[in-house]
Amino acid sequence: MKLHTKVGDYEGDVDIRIEGSRVFAALNDRRYEINLQRSVDNRLLLVAAGRVFDCRVDGNIESGSPFDVSVGTQRYAITLTDPRRLRSATAAGTLTGGVARVTAPMPGKIVRVLVAAGAQVEAGDGIIVVEAMKMQNEMKSPRAGKVVTVKVDVGATVNGGDVLAVIE
Amino acid sequence: MFRKILIANRGEIAVRIIRACRDLNISPIAVYSEVDAASLHVCMADEAYCIGPPPSAESYLNIPRIIDVAGKANAEAIHPGYGFLAENSAFARAVAEAGLVFIGPTAEAIEIMGSKTSARRAALEAGAPVVPGTTDALKDFAEARATAARLGYPVMLKAAAGGGGKGMRQVAAESELRSAFEAAQSEAESAFGSSEVYLEKVVERPRHIEIQIFADQFGNCIHLGERECSIQRRHQKVIEECPSPINDAGLRQRMGEAAIRIAQAVNYVGAGTVEFLFSHATREFYFLEMNTRLQVEHPVTELVTGFDLVREQINVAAGGELSFKQSDVRWQGHAIECRVYAEDPGNDFLPSPGRISFLRVPAGPGIRDDGGVIEGDEVSIYYDPMISKLAAWGRTRTEAVDRLRRALDEYAVGGIKTTLPFFREIVRDEEFIAGRLDTGFIPRFNERCRERGHSANDTQASRLQADIAIIAAAVAYDQSQRQSTNHQPRQVSKWKTAGRASTMNRTLQKPAPQFKE
Repeated sequence: MKLHTKVGDYEGDVDIRIEGSRVFAALNDRRYEINLQRSVDNRLLLVAAGRVFDCRVDGNIESGSPFDVSVGTQRYAITLTDPRRLRSATAAGTLTGGVARVTAPMPGKIVRVLVAAGAQVEAGDGIIVVEAMKMQNEMKSPRAGKVVTVKVDVGATVNGGDVLAVIE
Repeated sequence: MFRKILIANRGEIAVRIIRACRDLNISPIAVYSEVDAASLHVCMADEAYCIGPPPSAESYLNIPRIIDVAGKANAEAIHPGYGFLAENSAFARAVAEAGLVFIGPTAEAIEIMGSKTSARRAALEAGAPVVPGTTDALKDFAEARATAARLGYPVMLKAAAGGGGKGMRQVAAESELRSAFEAAQSEAESAFGSSEVYLEKVVERPRHIEIQIFADQFGNCIHLGERECSIQRRHQKVIEECPSPINDAGLRQRMGEAAIRIAQAVNYVGAGTVEFLFSHATREFYFLEMNTRLQVEHPVTELVTGFDLVREQINVAAGGELSFKQSDVRWQGHAIECRVYAEDPGNDFLPSPGRISFLRVPAGPGIRDDGGVIEGDEVSIYYDPMISKLAAWGRTRTEAVDRLRRALDEYAVGGIKTTLPFFREIVRDEEFIAGRLDTGFIPRFNERCRERGHSANDTQASRLQADIAIIAAAVAYDQSQRQSTNHQPRQVSKWKTAGRASTMNRTLQKPAPQFKE
């Protein structure tokens, strides 16, 4: 499973594979092989190369909203973004008054722009396609209206939260 | 001895008193507000009665209701704990008038010590040193200006009826006096219903040191040494220790004797605490106030002296003689206590109410945890957010700090934010380890933390730990996804289901395809 992660100033991708009690993880270029010795009631005991990490997860485990993970006495607020969940996340959009913004849910690259400024769109129409973690995601209009601006061009690199287009 | 005691309190102190009752084979009776119906102190009692809705004014401060419950349950005495009605002379009087025993001093002693100005007068009459200042409330601004000029700046304005830092203003120069005077008056009026304020000279970089005293009804009065409570936040104690890191036997004796004289001046009975400010520069101490109740931080005195203060309170209230003399009191080792609050240290210590989803309480040599909650409990918005007091004892202060550090690291609370991370930093702070404490400790500690934060970031070990946190999050996410696909039937549109069913019916009704030659 591939996820995008944000912890404080750190941002990166995490790729994990779970085989029984073995966890194989890659964070950018850092690779880990970990034993998952227990996982009950949001408490996880991980042992990596003999080192013990007593972990606890607090809060709702959801894609796109932060939850707390404690490792020993250290607490981290972690946001995971699941690319497979992007569609539903963006469908909600960000509404401010009569204006809706289509935003990038995570860093990525613009691979296609499907509409031009001035175009009339229906709710759910594709606006822009963003590639993140080698998956293409179509960002859809959260509402019917007119495309006021398209702020990015094909090939542009965007950060999570960047406004890609405005629909009025 | 009593057979039944009603405990007019909640949380950890109610639990603490229930334990003393059990030791003495006394049946404890709990009272609770509607939100506390299933709380720990109720679980541990023999009988429990609801005394009203969640707001304190309608439950834990409801004097007629509590006395009515005590009478119906045949309680013989009422222990008020600390806070709520503990220093309410009207309550002490009402308990006595109902023919019950109030476990604490007389209503008269509570009244004298309840007003800061009359307490100062009592201390002066007892020959105890007080911070230079006025013993009467200031009549007007002109008097405030003349008094401040005589004392010399900086000065402190204080509410006569005050406590908890409300109505208190430090004034550095005469130009600030008028606005501070007016602000202190209006704050005192709204907090305590009395706008009376008085002036004291400021003792610079003072230590806050208090003496535990104990008196019985036969005129015996002894002291149990000092507690250092200099580490304060918004004028509230967060860490207390016994003895003070100063650990000066001569000073202890002088302060102890002064405290006893003050207690005797008001015919004090039971457990009480006399608070002093101690000046580093002059090594002088000054009377601050007397708390006519059991203190939150009593466990550190218990750990070092070996006496059970709540058991002794009950003994004295039942008409017994003090079970020890001054010459029996020995101070062995060192004890430090942290008040664990449901507050977010990362967000200006704002209360963090919520459900305690996980709780692991530390144990082992030298560790004592006085808790009032269990896993699954709700920390409500209605009351003080303290969830426990963690105390460590060691033969030396160093050993006590070592054990406290270990216990703080073992302590784990899930679901809410607590002050534990803040304490973990403090026990690693060099100034704290060296025992260099005064009431300005926390602002300076915060400054040191900011400096440290800039230098020690992103080491290899912290990168590994952060990676593990991310992996744990990803594993938890993966498992939550599998669970939702395994256990919950997928949400399928009813239209789709109906559509599929009709397609299947059509397929079934259609005659089997025939092979054509």
